[in-house]
Amino acid sequence: MLVLSRQRDESIMIGDNIVVTIVDIRGDKVRLGINAPTEIPVHRQEVYEAIQRENLRASRLEPGDTQDIGKFAGRSSNGPTRPPEGPRK
Amino acid sequence: MRITTNRFGRIDVDPADILHFPSGLPGLEGCRDWALLADSDNDALGWLQSTTRGDVALAVVSPRRFVPDYQVRIPRSELTPLALADMRQAQVVVVVGKTDTGLTLNLKAPIVINLEARTGRQVVASGELSMQYEIVTQRPSLKKSA
Repeated sequence: MLVLSRQRDESIMIGDNIVVTIVDIRGDKVRLGINAPTEIPVHRQEVYEAIQRENLRASRLEPGDTQDIGKFAGRSSNGPTRPPEGPRK
Repeated sequence: MRITTNRFGRIDVDPADILHFPSGLPGLEGCRDWALLADSDNDALGWLQSTTRGDVALAVVSPRRFVPDYQVRIPRSELTPLALADMRQAQVVVVVGKTDTGLTLNLKAPIVINLEARTGRQVVASGELSMQYEIVTQRPSLKKSA
């Protein structure tokens, strides 16, 4: 691991298109600003890893696993979320 | 476009329907293009099928059908990569998972789709939300005595 010391308002460049800036330091908490292209996701590590694990677990589901799901669904909502659309399999 | 899938066999997908995820998904970063298929048995369920990996598909649902008061607060920084002006142009789905006791929903990391641009991203919603919200349990229900 490369370890650098930075003060408030100083920055680090990663590659040629990622910039990490120390926005604020308060006690033992550091606020970081990250400038990166949108294709590069930026997340708190522990959250990202938890989502990775959950996605990999979910990717093992088969249609047989979800048979009962309809029993627990309410009626169609009119909210911003709509039932998935797309070609019928 | 014809794709071969493990779960659904060979299916035809209109290229105009394909959703592009610039960052893929955490754990599935290489899968950038997906087709959203409706489940033929269950209108509450969809399948996000990778168009490049036939073995990769995620079951997804519209979260409000299972969690009526689900209100997702997404930081603007998470929406900007999708070029979404506001959430009205978005479709939100959550991924269905499975534990020993039953089916779960990842409410913490919903998938947001820009319907017009046909792009998508899995985002991290603010607040205390579960990644494994239980919706189906196989615990036997307690019968009330007469």
